[in-house]
Amino acid sequence: MKAALPRLSAKTALPLLLLLALLLLPSAGLSPNLVRILFITYVWTITSVAWNLVGGFTGQVSFGFAVFYGLGAYTAGLMINAGGSPYLGFIEAAAIAALASFFVGLPSFRLRGPYFAIATIGLTEAIRVIMSNLKITGGASGLSIIEHRQFRQVEHYYTALVAVALAVLVSMLIAGSRFGLALRAIKQDEDAAASLGVNPYQSKLWVHAIAAALTGVAGALHARYAVFIDPSGGPGGVFAFQTGISILLMPVIGGIGTVWGPVLGGVVFGIVEEELVVNFPNVHLLLYGILLILIILLEPGGLAGLLQKAFRLMRRPVGHSES
Amino acid sequence: MGLVDLLDPFISALLLAGIYAAMSVGMTVIYGVMKIVNLSHASFMMLGAYFAYELFERFHIDPVLGAAAALPVFFLFGMAVYWVLVRWIPKSNQPTLPSLLLMFGLSLVLQNIAYLIWKNEDRSITTSYTLSAYHFGPFDVSKVRVIVFAAAVVSVIVLQVALRKSWFGRGMRSLVQNPYASQIVGVDDRKTSMLTFGLGTAFAGFAGALLALLFSFSPDFGRPFLLRSFVIIVLGGLESFSGVALGALVLALVESYSIFIPNMEASYQPAISYLLLVVVLLLLPKGIAGLLERKWRSG
Repeated sequence: MKAALPRLSAKTALPLLLLLALLLLPSAGLSPNLVRILFITYVWTITSVAWNLVGGFTGQVSFGFAVFYGLGAYTAGLMINAGGSPYLGFIEAAAIAALASFFVGLPSFRLRGPYFAIATIGLTEAIRVIMSNLKITGGASGLSIIEHRQFRQVEHYYTALVAVALAVLVSMLIAGSRFGLALRAIKQDEDAAASLGVNPYQSKLWVHAIAAALTGVAGALHARYAVFIDPSGGPGGVFAFQTGISILLMPVIGGIGTVWGPVLGGVVFGIVEEELVVNFPNVHLLLYGILLILIILLEPGGLAGLLQKAFRLMRRPVGHSES
Repeated sequence: MGLVDLLDPFISALLLAGIYAAMSVGMTVIYGVMKIVNLSHASFMMLGAYFAYELFERFHIDPVLGAAAALPVFFLFGMAVYWVLVRWIPKSNQPTLPSLLLMFGLSLVLQNIAYLIWKNEDRSITTSYTLSAYHFGPFDVSKVRVIVFAAAVVSVIVLQVALRKSWFGRGMRSLVQNPYASQIVGVDDRKTSMLTFGLGTAFAGFAGALLALLFSFSPDFGRPFLLRSFVIIVLGGLESFSGVALGALVLALVESYSIFIPNMEASYQPAISYLLLVVVLLLLPKGIAGLLERKWRSG
């Protein structure tokens, strides 16, 4: 393990500095509303990073991540209501979501590209219909989560921060690993990857399970904080199609296939969402739609790609000999 | 259970299949020529529904006429969408993710513009004949369903004949069969694609207007029907008209007869068509027609 020790370059130092700053942030005396916005941003960023593992690295666009988000939320909610520790609930949420990922993935990864995407739409809708009718989920009227502990916002903040740091770490580790290379190979040419000894079907299943587990944790964090969840089809419902859309939009806006693009997308989305949803309920999806169209047509690298271009333009006058 | 109870779902399935076919035809032609899975099909249908609604509420134009009027309007709209957005997408002989996401982005835009205009409330069109029915012996058949069925079937047949006879139709069908060969013999790929996209959009708007006669609608109206369209065109083998008709009938039959599944609450019914989509994608990637063809060739 000689190469495993990371060199302290800008690439590793910057994230660590960022993490340190975010760890110290609550002691700077932020308003509860700001802490709430940060919390929500972390939760969204986890889902964004998770989706990118499947959609960005592996190239399998899924509309179905609301399933894992919703299952995570309900697992944690039911566990907390049963008197269990919320932290145990998070782990169980991850496990249930990962289990469900096989239920979705085993059939639908037999399909390729857009057919996989369409299959995930069908499965998500079917699961949402079933969940809205089950007694255990409280049906369409939702589930209240009662935790017999004092509510401490800082605790929620740190839990979410640890979770999002974990998600980014997983994403970085996968990006730099053999497994990550296999995933990228699958994205570029599945048959060629298979001929070089990658098992596309298995690799997709595993990365899907990892992404589902992370998304499940995000749902659980949301459920514990929100105190009330419902499966409905409208915005805010944890199983809603809209939730799946949001999870897909963030990484695409941020820049899919990179480690930091989805983080950027999640942060922008979380903050913009919180401000816009309050003031203009339907305008935010309109804006995201326009942004999505512009990104597909003009800058497939997303915001991250745009930033990279801007940096390059700024550097050009200084160093001519740089290549 | 009497014979009437068994036949009643069959009649309603048949009537439903007509409109299902009309709403899926637009998706099939676009997929066939451009290999684009049109996720904004649902939004076009939703806009068609509001188009008929506005004509009916403001000018008291009969919704069936409104649906007919939607054809040219949405044809132009579709061509505009192609010219502004779709033509920039790299061409491919299989569906690509950028095209999927682009059409999805467009559907978000259209749907949320609709939310701004019409708000999030259910609307419906109630005509003088909405509640009346024909009586055939023991069967009561809703008049509006018969009218919608007739309009849908006539339009699909007219389209089918027009595409068989016209130069445009031949060019289109040759692009479906072999894009390279047809370009060599002089089919204008760009122009045909634009007209095809217009045609697909026109039929989406038309079907949406007809559906507005049967169901209440909101800006979120199209999604269940979008999924049904997927099921139908996948059942039909993605590219053929007869396949679409067959797929529409199969889906309508499955939906209508699912009420006989014991111990299932009605609220679970939508899940059936969604699960059917996945099952069909997995088991019959070339649709029923493909299955029959395979049987025929090997046997």
